[in-house]
Amino acid sequence: MNYPVWDLAFGAGLLMALVAGLHVFVSHFAVGGGLFLVLTERRARRNNDSKLLAWLKFHTRFFVLLTVVFGAVSGVGIWFTIGLISPTATSNLIHIYVWGWAIEWVFFFIEITAALLYLYGWDKLEPKVHEWFGWVYFVAAFASMVVINGIITFMLTPGQWIANHYFWSGFFNPTYAPSLFFRISISLALAGIYSLITASVQKDAELKARIVRWGALWTVPSLLLLPVFACWYIRAIPPVLWLSTRGAMPTGTHFALLACLLLGGTFLLVLISLVRPSRLHLTLSLLLAVVAFGAMDSFEFVRESIRKPFVIENYLYANSLYFTAMPGDGGFTVDNLNSAGVLQTARWVQNHDLSPANQIAAGHEIFRVECESCHTADGYRGIHQYIVKRQWDQDKLHAMLGCIFLMHNNVMPPFAGTDAELNALSAYLGSLQPMNPPPDLHPDGKTVYQQNCSMCHLQQPDDHLFTNMPKDPQKAVAALASLPAMFPLMPDLKLSEDERRALVQWVYTQNSAPAAQGGN
Amino acid sequence: MFDPSMVPTPDPNPLPAPFWVFKLLLVVTFALHILAMNFMLGGALLALLARWRQKGNQYGARIFRDVAKKVPVMMAATISIGIAPLLFVQVLYGQFFYTSSILLAWPWFLVLVLVVCAYYGFYFVSYQGERRPRSAGRVMLFSTTLVLIIGFIYTNNLTLSQVPAHWAQKYFSSASGWGLNLSEPTLVPRYLHFMTAAVAVGGLYLVLIAWTKWKQDQEYARAIFQLGGKAFLYATMSQFLIGFWFLFSIPRALRGIFLGADPLATTLLGFALVAALVSIFMMSAALRKDNIRLAALGVTSITALDVLIMSVMRELLRMAYLKPYYNPQQFAVQTQWSPFLIFLVLFVSGAAFWFLMLKRYGLFGGTKSAQP
Repeated sequence: MNYPVWDLAFGAGLLMALVAGLHVFVSHFAVGGGLFLVLTERRARRNNDSKLLAWLKFHTRFFVLLTVVFGAVSGVGIWFTIGLISPTATSNLIHIYVWGWAIEWVFFFIEITAALLYLYGWDKLEPKVHEWFGWVYFVAAFASMVVINGIITFMLTPGQWIANHYFWSGFFNPTYAPSLFFRISISLALAGIYSLITASVQKDAELKARIVRWGALWTVPSLLLLPVFACWYIRAIPPVLWLSTRGAMPTGTHFALLACLLLGGTFLLVLISLVRPSRLHLTLSLLLAVVAFGAMDSFEFVRESIRKPFVIENYLYANSLYFTAMPGDGGFTVDNLNSAGVLQTARWVQNHDLSPANQIAAGHEIFRVECESCHTADGYRGIHQYIVKRQWDQDKLHAMLGCIFLMHNNVMPPFAGTDAELNALSAYLGSLQPMNPPPDLHPDGKTVYQQNCSMCHLQQPDDHLFTNMPKDPQKAVAALASLPAMFPLMPDLKLSEDERRALVQWVYTQNSAPAAQGGN
Repeated sequence: MFDPSMVPTPDPNPLPAPFWVFKLLLVVTFALHILAMNFMLGGALLALLARWRQKGNQYGARIFRDVAKKVPVMMAATISIGIAPLLFVQVLYGQFFYTSSILLAWPWFLVLVLVVCAYYGFYFVSYQGERRPRSAGRVMLFSTTLVLIIGFIYTNNLTLSQVPAHWAQKYFSSASGWGLNLSEPTLVPRYLHFMTAAVAVGGLYLVLIAWTKWKQDQEYARAIFQLGGKAFLYATMSQFLIGFWFLFSIPRALRGIFLGADPLATTLLGFALVAALVSIFMMSAALRKDNIRLAALGVTSITALDVLIMSVMRELLRMAYLKPYYNPQQFAVQTQWSPFLIFLVLFVSGAAFWFLMLKRYGLFGGTKSAQP
C-alpha cells in the first residue's frame, strides 16, 4: 500500500515461483558444475583420456550457455520480479544488505569472466592455465553462493538481527550453516545430473558409460547426504514454523511431501541410469533433470511457505506491513491501520473514505493492497474457489476474516484496518460469488467441520476440537452457539442448531474411532 | 491533481554508508555499464551495416563475422556490470524506481525474456556465423532489434521514475502494468540520444578491434577502421541535433540547470560539447591521415571522459526532476564499516585480479598459447 500493486490476474506469486524456481535450478548447477568441470578435466588429463576431454569441451559449452546466459539473466530476473511484486521487502533487503550484494557482485563479475575465458581457452591455453581458470571460476561461484546464502536464510531466521540490526547478526543467522551445506550438496548432485544430459547424446557407448558412472559418483553421495543436512536445517528452524509442514498448512505440507517423494524419485532414476550406463537415453536424463527440478523447487516452496505470514520473519509481513512500529515505517503497521484505517493510510487507493455506495469498490482496493501479494480473486491461490468450496456468505466471511491470522498455523497476517473496512472487504469478497445456500435440514457433520473449522482445527485426535468437546451432547451443542465465549479469538460463526448437532455427532464418531484412541 | 504524498516512503533502514559513496558508485558503474552496452549494441549494428554494404566491399562479410563473435562477450559485460548501477539506483531512488517499474511491470518483466532471446541469438551468430551465413544475418538482426526494444523499455522506466506527477493517472486508469511513458516529451529524443551514442561508441569499438589487427593485416584493419571511424563521426555529429532536441524537450525550469541556473551542470554541458567537438576533429584527422593510434587512444579517451561527464549530467538532471519529492537529507546514515571495507578491498583486488586473468589469457599479447 506504500507502493502500487501490479494487478496480475493469474497471480504474482506464481510468476515469482517460476523465475526463482528456474534460476535456482541453474544457479546451483553453476556452482557444483564448476567443480565438476575442473576435476573432470584434471582426471582426463592425468589419464590422457582424449575422448573424455573432447566430451568435457562440449559439456563446457553447454554449461556456459546455460549458466552464463540463462542463469545470470534469471538471477537479475529475481531482482526485477521481487521489485515488482514485493517492493517494500526488496527495498529493505537492499538497504540492510547492500554491501552483501555489492560483495557478491564482485565475485559474480569474476565468475562470469572466468567462465568465458575457460570456455574460449579450451583451444588456446596450456592445460595448467586452463585448469587455473576453472578453479578461479569455481571459487568465485562458490563465494557468491556463500554470500547470497546469508541473505536468503536471513529472511527465514533473522536471529539476533531483529534486536540489534547488526549486519553480521542477520547474515550468520541460525540456519546459515545448515542451509549452506544443504545447498552445497544440491550443487554437487546437480553437477552429476546435468552431466548425464550431455553424456546421453554421446555416440561412443564406452565413453558414455564412463561419464554416467563418473556423474553418479557426484550425485549418489550428495543425495545421500542431503537428508542429513536437511535434518540439521530443520532443527535450526523454530519448531512452531516447522508445524506448517506437518499438516497445519496445506501448501507447506504438500510441498514437503512432494520434496521427499521427488528426492526419492531422483535417487531412483540415478540408480536406473546406472543399470545400463552405456545405453542411457536422452529421455531418461531429461526425466531425471525434471524430477530433480521438482524436488528442488518443492524444497524452495517449503522454505517460503513456513516463513509465512512473513517475508522477513518477525519483521515484515508478506503484504508489506511491518510487524512492529518503528521510526520510518510510514505508518504501515497492523496497529496503526487498525486505528487510522487502511484506506486512510494506503497511498495507492482511490477510495480514501467509505460510504454505502463504495463498499465493493473500496473492498476491492483493500483486497488489492492487503491480499494480492499472495492471493488473487480467480487465479493462483484464488479466494473465489475457497468461498465456493466452503460456502461462505458475507457474514461468515466477515467472521472468518476477523480471525484469519489463526488459520493454517498462523500463516496469514491479521486483517489490518477498521471494522468498517473489514465490512467492505467482506462485501467485495462476498460479491465474487453470492451465496444463498438453501437451508439444509440434514447437514452433514463432516461438511460442517470442513467448511467452518478445518482452517484452524486439524482432524487429529489431539486437536482442541476433539479433546475439549464436552461429553454431554446438549452441553456441546449449546457451547458451540457462541464460539467467542469459549475462546475470545474464535469467529462468531452463528452455526444453526442442526449444524452444531451434526458437528458434535461427527466429532464423537471421530473420537471413538480406533485411530483416535490416543485423544481421549 | 497530483498528491505528492503518493510517493512511497523508503524503508526504515539507514543508509549503510554516506550518501555520496553510493552516488559515486552509481555514476561510475553506470558509465561503465553504458560503455559496455554501447560496445555490444553499437558493435552489433555496425556488424549488420558491414554485411549490408558487402557488395563492392570485399571485407563486409568478414567484418560481420569478426565483430559478431565478440558481441556475446560484450553482452555478458553489459549485464554483469549493469547489476551494480541497478543495485545502487535502488539504494538511493528505490521509492521512485520500484513505483515506475510496477506501472510498466509487463514490459519491465519482458526485458528478461528479451535479454535471454537476444543473448542466445548473439551466441548462435557467434558459433554458427560461418556455417550458416544466411540465417546468421537474420538472427543478428532479430537480436539487435530486441536490444533496441529493451533500450526503449529502459528509457520508459527511467523517465517515468522521474515524474511522480504522472503516476496516479496511469495507475488508476489501469493497474495491469502496461503504463509505458509514451506521452513523455523527452522519451523519443532521450532514447535516440542513447542509441545514437551506442553507434558512435560502437564505432570506437571497431577502431579498437582494427588497432589489434593493424600489424597482422593492415588492409583489412583499415577497412574496419574506416567503418568504425566514420560511424563515430556521423553519429557524434548527429548528436548535435538529437542532443539539442533532447535538451529542449526537457521542461524549461529543469532545462535551466544546463543553461546557467546551476554552474556545475552548465560547465559540464560545456565540457561535454567541447569534448564532442574535439573528438570529431580528432577522428576526422585520424581517418584522413590513417592514424589509428590517434583514433584508438585519443578519441577513445576523450569519449570515455565524455561518457563519464554525461553520466554526471544525467544524475544532476534526475535530481532536478525529483527535487520536489526527494531530499538526500531524508536518509539516516549508519555506516556498516566491516562489510563496507570488505567490499572496497574485494572491489580493488577484484579489479586487479580481473586484469591478471585477462593477462594470463594472453589478451595483452601474452605467450600462454598452447598451439600458436
